[in-house]
Amino acid sequence: MASDRMKRLVRPLAVFLVAAVFACLADGALQAMPPVQRTVLSSGLVLLVSEEHTLPVITFKLLLDAGSRRDPSGKEGLASLTANGLLLGTARRSAEEFNEELDSMGASLDAGAGRDYVTLSLQVVTKDLDHGFDLFMEALTQPTFPEKELRKEVQQTLAAIQAAEEQPEEVAEKAFDRVLFLKSPYAHPVEGTRESLPRLSAEDVRRFHRTHYRPNVAVLAVVGDVTPELVQRKLIPRLTAWQAGTLPPEQFTTTFAAGPKREEIDRTMTQATIVLGHRGISRDNPDYYALAVMNYILGGGGFGSRLVDEIRVKRGLAYSVASFFDARKYPGSFQVVLQTKNASAREAIALVLQELERMRTEPVSEDELSRAKKYLTGSFPLRLDTQGKLSGFLTLVEYFGLGLDYPERYPSVINTVTREEVTRVAKTYLHPEKAILVVVANLEEAGLEKGKSKE
Amino acid sequence: MKAKWGRRGAVAGIFLAFSCFFAFVCVGVAYGATIAERVSETVLPNGLKVLLLENHKAPVITFQVWYRVGSRNEAWEKTGLSHVLEHMMFKGTKRFGPEQFSRIIQENGGNDNAFTSADYTAYFENLGADRVGIAVEMEADRMANLLLREDDFRTERMVVMEERRMRTEDDPHAVLQEQLQATAFQQQPYRWPVIGWMQDLRRLTLKDLEEYYRTYYNPVNAFLVVVGDFKKEELLPQIEKAFGAIPRGVPPDQEKGIDPPQLGERRMVVKKEAQLPFLLMGYHVPNLREPDSYVLEVIATLLSNGKSSRFYRDLVRERELVLSAEAEHSLLSRDSGLFLISAEPLPEKEVAQVERALEQELERLRREPVPTPELEKVKNLMEASFLTAQDSLFFQAMLLAQFEIASTWRAVDDYLPSIRKVTPEDIQRVANQYLIPERRTAGVLTPLPPTKETRTAPGFSIKSKTVR
Repeated sequence: MASDRMKRLVRPLAVFLVAAVFACLADGALQAMPPVQRTVLSSGLVLLVSEEHTLPVITFKLLLDAGSRRDPSGKEGLASLTANGLLLGTARRSAEEFNEELDSMGASLDAGAGRDYVTLSLQVVTKDLDHGFDLFMEALTQPTFPEKELRKEVQQTLAAIQAAEEQPEEVAEKAFDRVLFLKSPYAHPVEGTRESLPRLSAEDVRRFHRTHYRPNVAVLAVVGDVTPELVQRKLIPRLTAWQAGTLPPEQFTTTFAAGPKREEIDRTMTQATIVLGHRGISRDNPDYYALAVMNYILGGGGFGSRLVDEIRVKRGLAYSVASFFDARKYPGSFQVVLQTKNASAREAIALVLQELERMRTEPVSEDELSRAKKYLTGSFPLRLDTQGKLSGFLTLVEYFGLGLDYPERYPSVINTVTREEVTRVAKTYLHPEKAILVVVANLEEAGLEKGKSKE
Repeated sequence: MKAKWGRRGAVAGIFLAFSCFFAFVCVGVAYGATIAERVSETVLPNGLKVLLLENHKAPVITFQVWYRVGSRNEAWEKTGLSHVLEHMMFKGTKRFGPEQFSRIIQENGGNDNAFTSADYTAYFENLGADRVGIAVEMEADRMANLLLREDDFRTERMVVMEERRMRTEDDPHAVLQEQLQATAFQQQPYRWPVIGWMQDLRRLTLKDLEEYYRTYYNPVNAFLVVVGDFKKEELLPQIEKAFGAIPRGVPPDQEKGIDPPQLGERRMVVKKEAQLPFLLMGYHVPNLREPDSYVLEVIATLLSNGKSSRFYRDLVRERELVLSAEAEHSLLSRDSGLFLISAEPLPEKEVAQVERALEQELERLRREPVPTPELEKVKNLMEASFLTAQDSLFFQAMLLAQFEIASTWRAVDDYLPSIRKVTPEDIQRVANQYLIPERRTAGVLTPLPPTKETRTAPGFSIKSKTVR
């Protein structure tokens, strides 16, 4: 049966090409993005190809809309286990054989789930393209998910969950998600929980794969030492044989916790790890770009940002402090994250709240606005300067429907943001008075023991 | 065990820089010319060496200044000085005010940062190809004209202490590693951590920094590496103009002692709150100036690189003893360093059992020749990794610079041939010579049970006015 499937897969099916669009960007001294060829196969798979021949290396990045937000209730971790399970044996190769063959080529093949999507990435030297692509397609379309392998994977994940308990930032992030996302597919950890993981069966995994691993919810970027001829002859026939499927309709709803809320986690540590935030936005929110500018000024812009200036540069209270909007397919979170010695925790929290409030009430300066715009627009080439970065960028541009002219449009979208708009989005999307605060610290040293920090 | 450098970060241990790097970068023949053949070296009249490598695949450049100074150049009681000076290098000159450096680079769409190891301190700007002149100007300026101010120093020292708390004090694995180094090395400066002991950070003075800057931040003790989309004939004159007038400086004494052979195994324990135990063993080994170092490089890959590696296949998958197990070799350290083996036992597994399993793996290397197909696989893996890592301009620059620090950048071309030459007999001989208990310091993290627990409060109300 396996070999039948293989024969079907290798049949050339060029007629199934539905559309091929060339997105070549205008020439310029700093062309933001190299040319990309976009093709939609009959199965619905969107294929993005970008040639660059300075190294005999090819990178594949497949994005599938099958992240942990698709986990059935009570089966948290299923999407992640399925993604990891792709590499644990196929219809033609055991996990050992698979690993052995990959390492013999020096190829890397990685799978992993996030909240929205799963990625499967291959990096392979050109001379091993055929073999590497074989393994890639096998992992994607013919995984067998052996029970013994899944059991080991679950054991490893459980141990990793335990080990992460000693990393304060992980502890704080998990607590923050748990508190903020009340009823939401975004609430649970991607990898699942101690309670849910033992409940996952091989049949669950196989069903999840059958349902969600379909080309009509996937994007594949191929970047590097490839040619259109090679894509046409070697890749498309096999990709086209990957069959589309009907996915169950998604009913995504989130209830966000109403702040203020505080979660304190007492640990014998020298520093307090602080996560302060609240609901954020989805990637398709039209204010995304104004928020990018606002957040750069607030705490996204490293040494150009207010939080770093106030907390680190002026007062020496932290090595690391930053803010970000985690813009997902559906609304995610806004967070400020920092570490400071226990004794400075309250001062640092107060400064964060103060800066959030200042952003809402005072206009930013022309200088701040202009610096933010210059960085955001000017740094675009750095976001695309390796195969890994470019392939990741291309899949996301497609996933979020930004269009391949995105790098061209981006500067004008950013440059039209005004000071008034920065204040408007700050007022709309920053809510210091309703924030969720998570502190992992030695609470006594931090003066945050229950009761003490209240007025 | 990953090296991290965030903003102005220390490379958190002397070994981490190299191991992380070589996890990515390990072998390869580029199209046609070798890497070294494509590099142009110029030494300016003031002694500043300039390495230029054109690569036009993307319209970006990485501009890097490397100073031959790291924690190995520090004195006891003044540890952490190199890294604190790295932080202070962002505090401005007469021409550019405090914190202007990163601001200007970012305004030009670039990213900048710096990192410190036992052997070097490096500064870099990644930016669009048409903006490199700004990096040239500002790096030249701070090589000669840094303003060290007491107020900046006091605040920045607090930042470094926070960095030490974050990277070391609250990370049980990092504490074990720091303690292991302090035990494995007795006389050579690899004994102390790059970030410095907390009490030393407290006693550093502005005068220490001024003297250190004067001694080590000179053209004669530095070199530039630039990789990316530029033309040499255009860039080199800019560099000559900006850096050429800086006084050459006096070459500092760079000779450091090496520990005498150890007289038997050393063992140590760290007891600290943690979830799982952790096992770390360091074996004294030579660096790349000894050909055997390349054999150790192959051994490290064979043991733990890839899912078909011996550690992963046998200890993680088959015997289900550990969550992870790693081997790392310090090929590119300036003085001889440690070959490190680490393992994180799975819950319910005994540390002693894991240690026995690791020892069995080494015993196997000492006793049985590595089968030829396995050795071929390892070499292929190293070659392909070396090749694919060159996708990053930043890592190409790192590669040249780290070889230059350890011996000469030209040795980068020896890497692949040296790896290819390694035979099963070499591996057996080198394992018997170096990976033996007599050369080892074994460290164990013994977890103490947590003394605190979680609690949730209904709301919070810290107002800005109540604190500070």
